[in-house]
Amino acid sequence: MSEIKKIKNLKEFSTSADRFEGANLLCPGCAHSIIVREVLNATNDDLILAASTGCLEVCTAVYPYTSWDASWIHIGFENGSTAVAGAEAMYKALKTKGRLKQPDRVPKFVAFGGDGATYDIGFQWISGCFERGHNMMYVCLDNEVYANTGGQRSSSTPIGASATTTPAGSVSYGEKKNKKDMVAIMAAHGAPYVAQVAPNKWKDMVAKIQKGFAAEGPVFINAMSACTTEWKFAPEDTIAISDLATDSLVFPLYEIINGTELNITYRPKNIIPVRDYLGAQGRFKHLFKKEYSYLIDEWQTRVDAKWEQLQRREEARV
Amino acid sequence: MEKAGWDGFEIGAMLRTFDGAIQNIATTLPEDRAYSQSSSFTASVADWRIEKPLFNKDYCIDCQFCWVFCPDMSIISRDKKMIGIDFDHCKGCGICVEVCPTNPKSLLMFPEQKDEESALVEWPKKVKKEKEDEVGEE
Amino acid sequence: MADTMELRDIEVWDGNMAAAQALRQVQVDVVAAYPITPSTPIVEGYATYKANGYVDGEFVMVESEHAAMSGCIGAAAAGGRVATATSSQGFALMVETLYSASGMRLPIILNVVNRAIGAPLNVNGDHSDMYMGRDSGWIQLDAYNPQHAYDLNFIAFKVAEDHDVRLPAMVHQDGFMTSHTAQGVHTLTDEAAYGFVGEFQPMNDMLDLDHPVTHGVQTEEDWHFEHKARQQHALMTAVIPKIEAAFAEFEKLSGRKYNLVETHQMEDAEMAVICMGTSVETAMEVVDELRAQGIKAGVVGIRVFRPWPLEQLAEVLKNVKAIGTLDRSSPHGTVGMLYNEIAGTLFNCDTKAVLNNYIYGLGGRDLTKAHVVGIFNDLKANVDAGKLTTPLQQYIGLRGPKLSFF
Repeated sequence: MSEIKKIKNLKEFSTSADRFEGANLLCPGCAHSIIVREVLNATNDDLILAASTGCLEVCTAVYPYTSWDASWIHIGFENGSTAVAGAEAMYKALKTKGRLKQPDRVPKFVAFGGDGATYDIGFQWISGCFERGHNMMYVCLDNEVYANTGGQRSSSTPIGASATTTPAGSVSYGEKKNKKDMVAIMAAHGAPYVAQVAPNKWKDMVAKIQKGFAAEGPVFINAMSACTTEWKFAPEDTIAISDLATDSLVFPLYEIINGTELNITYRPKNIIPVRDYLGAQGRFKHLFKKEYSYLIDEWQTRVDAKWEQLQRREEARV
Repeated sequence: MEKAGWDGFEIGAMLRTFDGAIQNIATTLPEDRAYSQSSSFTASVADWRIEKPLFNKDYCIDCQFCWVFCPDMSIISRDKKMIGIDFDHCKGCGICVEVCPTNPKSLLMFPEQKDEESALVEWPKKVKKEKEDEVGEE
Repeated sequence: MADTMELRDIEVWDGNMAAAQALRQVQVDVVAAYPITPSTPIVEGYATYKANGYVDGEFVMVESEHAAMSGCIGAAAAGGRVATATSSQGFALMVETLYSASGMRLPIILNVVNRAIGAPLNVNGDHSDMYMGRDSGWIQLDAYNPQHAYDLNFIAFKVAEDHDVRLPAMVHQDGFMTSHTAQGVHTLTDEAAYGFVGEFQPMNDMLDLDHPVTHGVQTEEDWHFEHKARQQHALMTAVIPKIEAAFAEFEKLSGRKYNLVETHQMEDAEMAVICMGTSVETAMEVVDELRAQGIKAGVVGIRVFRPWPLEQLAEVLKNVKAIGTLDRSSPHGTVGMLYNEIAGTLFNCDTKAVLNNYIYGLGGRDLTKAHVVGIFNDLKANVDAGKLTTPLQQYIGLRGPKLSFF
């Protein structure tokens, strides 16, 4: 086990040398990039990276340019997890056989995928990797929509969001289904470490990434990625929107250790109404019509219930 | 990279980030790295910007919020101090300005053509506390 | 360090055991696999060797064939020797990733135990999966019996991993007819087998931490064409000479000679059948019997299916007057693949050969010697008439009224 990087405060964190480069093609204000930086900068260890097809992938490896300073692979939409699992298997084989070129260095294996690649098309591959127990971290960049293909709903899209395949219209309020609870599903795999993070809470996130890197076995991180393009807010507001998400508890921050031990890691001093979070984004604009006000009430009820459930699970330690 | 012919690049469309070997990458700053022409570090997205952030170090407290929340690795911090902006990679999103906590802000958005000298001359003064929230809008 | 296994000079192995032993002898570093009949025993074999200390690589039992090839790609890009096996529906599920493996120039070895593709579901041998792979950019070698399945694995690793090639390779054998039919197989010692293929030489390996690489980029209209052209150039120019060199070296080692195009009684043949897999050996027996009757019949077997040995086939067929192409896959909407390929191969030659097509053996239906005799009767009539005397495409071994097209 390598040494954990010391990151006492933001000043210390800012001495990190990024291993992710600019002039990538992500939208101005994209949270994906902020998340990737916080993940990669949480360690000084070598990295072997993979990405499933999606915004991050198509914007960071467009020939003849790469934005990655560590080895990186992309195969398809569904298999970023298995790509890095295959690399991890090769690492183990070559270690056994004494054929590693730098045997004293232990790389971390990390796969990135959007919520489409994670909640939907790549779900089986990720489940397989976690059941098999590869020593890897899977980071879902959860922007609750197929952003790369232009804003179609995924199983992470929340009720009431207008997406291009579930548009709000004269007789529709948009997405009808509740967001899939991927964190709970991954915890149910018995993974040693599962957590939900948000880039605005950088310290919470870095601490969780470091815990994940220290764990033996597969680690799942669900990272909220506020999407300026599809959530419809101004690019400079990415962090402000993220603050609304975490402080309204729409995105509660917590971790689950070994599938059972749940810890809430961020308790807002002032919990703000869900209405404020919804109102800041164009994708929920139609909910503020009079006939849909009940949906905002239901939203608040759902968020309250989830918060209650998390607190009870934390208390019960089961 | 120039547009090479079919026999002018690595097989499998593989790209190398650096020229030659690199060790301790995680502790090697960009200025000390031998980026290859395939690294997007060598490219520029400056033409994406309509507005650009300018930095007034007189008000900066080196909190590093701008560094950690910059999506484009464009806040240059060295030895825990904010020293400038990488205008090759800044896309002008404005997050750095939004998250800057000083009064007045140490980073403000200006039209792309604005020169730094006159921006510093025009920099707003400290405003009374109750109006603090509006500083970024000026 | 893995234990060595003492083998008899001749072992009684079926095609699956032969392939599994080859994977053991070359000491594959990672096998990521998913079971499917009839190829399963190959990867079960590797797992069993690992469980008993005969290999010290990693066996990753994944949750689908798509994941099997995905894991193989990740492992191969990381930098090491990688192999797996599949058939039929599993092969079909893998197809997306087959293109990734070849496009990324990763030398993975895939043992394909050929089987029909449903619907209707069928577990037996035909060539539908092999045909499905033919545009995927892989080298495709075809075994006719367990001995070939064993030997061609060594050829596949040696050629695919060569730095001038760096392309993945499939070794095909017929489901059940080869995979589950035990025959005497001449073995190599572990040392000789490993020595022939050699130590894996990494290239552009992700695990070389001093030289980070990016694999699997996006290229649009300004780059994609050039990359695909480069891939095709390697497959078309580098592979055939490397296979020929490997065949020659293997002959020195084992005494067994392989050719890009296998021929039997073709020196003075007036008529020939062209086929693949176990059918080649059936046709050879028939030809020997016809020769005893003074009939100038011959057999051409495709050994290297991709890259297509166009020049070698044109040479072999230049004096033949009638050719029957035998396809063990339903072409669905046109003539069989071998008909098309052979027609294309001969079109610019001076040949006046009459060419026809037979669809046979779908879903494991037997090809009998009587069927082959019937085909040669057709070909004889075509030779005598100097033109086609039968429908262009005929189904053989099918119940019900005779079925033919064109």
